[in-house]
Amino acid sequence: MEHELFWGMPVILYLFLAGMGAGSTVVGASMMLRGGGGPRGVHHEIARYGALLGPIPVIVGVLAIIFELGSWNVGHYFRFINLFLVMNLSPMSVGSWLLVAFIITSLMFAYSYLRFMPMPFGDRLKWRVALAWINIPLGIGVAIYTGVLLGAMPSRPFWNSPMLAFLFLISALSTGTALIIFARAFVTRGGLSEEKREEVHKSGYILASTDTEMIGFEILAVFLFLMFAYLTVGDVRYAVATILPGGELASMFWIGVVLIGLVIPGLLELYAVAPSLIYKRKYTVSRWTEMAIALAVIFGGFVLRYVVVTAGQITGPVGI
Amino acid sequence: MVIDARRCYGVQACTVACKAEYKVPLGENRSWVEEIEKGNYPATSRSFLPRLCNHCDEPACVPVCPTGATYKRAEDGIVVIDKNICIGCKYCVQACPYDMRFVNEDTGTADKCDFCIHRVSQGLDPACVEACPSRARIFGDLNDPESEVSKLVAENPVTVLRPEKGTEPNVYYIGADHTDEHDVVAETMYVDVKTHRRYEERR
Repeated sequence: MEHELFWGMPVILYLFLAGMGAGSTVVGASMMLRGGGGPRGVHHEIARYGALLGPIPVIVGVLAIIFELGSWNVGHYFRFINLFLVMNLSPMSVGSWLLVAFIITSLMFAYSYLRFMPMPFGDRLKWRVALAWINIPLGIGVAIYTGVLLGAMPSRPFWNSPMLAFLFLISALSTGTALIIFARAFVTRGGLSEEKREEVHKSGYILASTDTEMIGFEILAVFLFLMFAYLTVGDVRYAVATILPGGELASMFWIGVVLIGLVIPGLLELYAVAPSLIYKRKYTVSRWTEMAIALAVIFGGFVLRYVVVTAGQITGPVGI
Repeated sequence: MVIDARRCYGVQACTVACKAEYKVPLGENRSWVEEIEKGNYPATSRSFLPRLCNHCDEPACVPVCPTGATYKRAEDGIVVIDKNICIGCKYCVQACPYDMRFVNEDTGTADKCDFCIHRVSQGLDPACVEACPSRARIFGDLNDPESEVSKLVAENPVTVLRPEKGTEPNVYYIGADHTDEHDVVAETMYVDVKTHRRYEERR
């Protein structure tokens, strides 16, 4: 059945990319602070990937929604500036300001990791620590507001749940971690020295265990979202039926999000992490496995946004 | 506005008058009449539900607007969209529990019924009210206790659409059929609702 979708692929892409980018910066910044902010070492490696990757998807996503605006499509290319002439409590207004702030600070954070560029004001390491402290709350804000944006409307019962923002935040952190895992595995080549290989495995272990934890929380968030929607009556129950077995988006949700995006990568990562976690064995996972797991998580994050954005729009209030 | 659904027999004169007044793009309507068919033979019925913006006291579309382009006018309570400010983000389209808003392809902005502000401010009735052959639509000032609409609201059992959304609509219906397709999913009764919008399902 053909449906009326006012928010299509650009918005879905934006919600996914902004979440992933913000998650990647947040994970990178937290890793850096966890490692003490030193110029080298395992945590530094992870933080560098996170900081350098983070802003890219966010900027791509923002461009996607600007091109999607009705005013852009009729030739008013700079009408979107109107967003920044006022400040109100619309989640979109708050989100736009957050996004601008985050894009600027995350670019500065990324810049501080470009070693060949001059650092004009003061010490590079001190800048990194300060920017990390700024980027973590801003990044969490960006990731969470995508869920608040959708959740703020009683007219869209599928979205109108406090769990949605939480789910989007966890998914953002998880896909952000997966992006770092993927990029790191993609860049790492064979033939490293013993010492270097040790370090690669160590950071791989930290990332994989982080992602396992996130996936665990995400499964919990999905469960709570579904359960509380299913246990109500009326609008929300009718809306959530679209992703429950028999619903229009059920196979996409259960196969794309739950199976490929959560259960399979979750189990694989648990299988990879458990020997080191429990028996203190060395973490040895091939880079191809790492890349496959990361891609599955990223794919799942995208399908999650697709299912949520679509399901919210094909359902509405019941009764007139 | 008061809509006496008992008088409506679905000629769509209001839909056409509104379309002619605003030249909205093909497929879109600011106001329309829904047709509700229900029941199993021989106990069947067909009723009509004229639809337009409710100009709510607590509009869901206004607080979500990030630019302040849509607002409720203080002087007459009409919810309007400033086409020179609206960026076409479609947030208000999602937020309206009545699906009254759409994006006008010509202007790239959100669009909806504005009670024919250009006519009302000159003391005329809105185009749909003027066109209705059976006087099913009655327009007036609800704050004036002597007006026809106030008397109708006071003297008749009236309903509003989706009151549970807390929007406090200002379009009152007399004798409206609130049957929805979703009301009877589990039963065997036949219900079909046709909305006369680009997408015919009612959400």
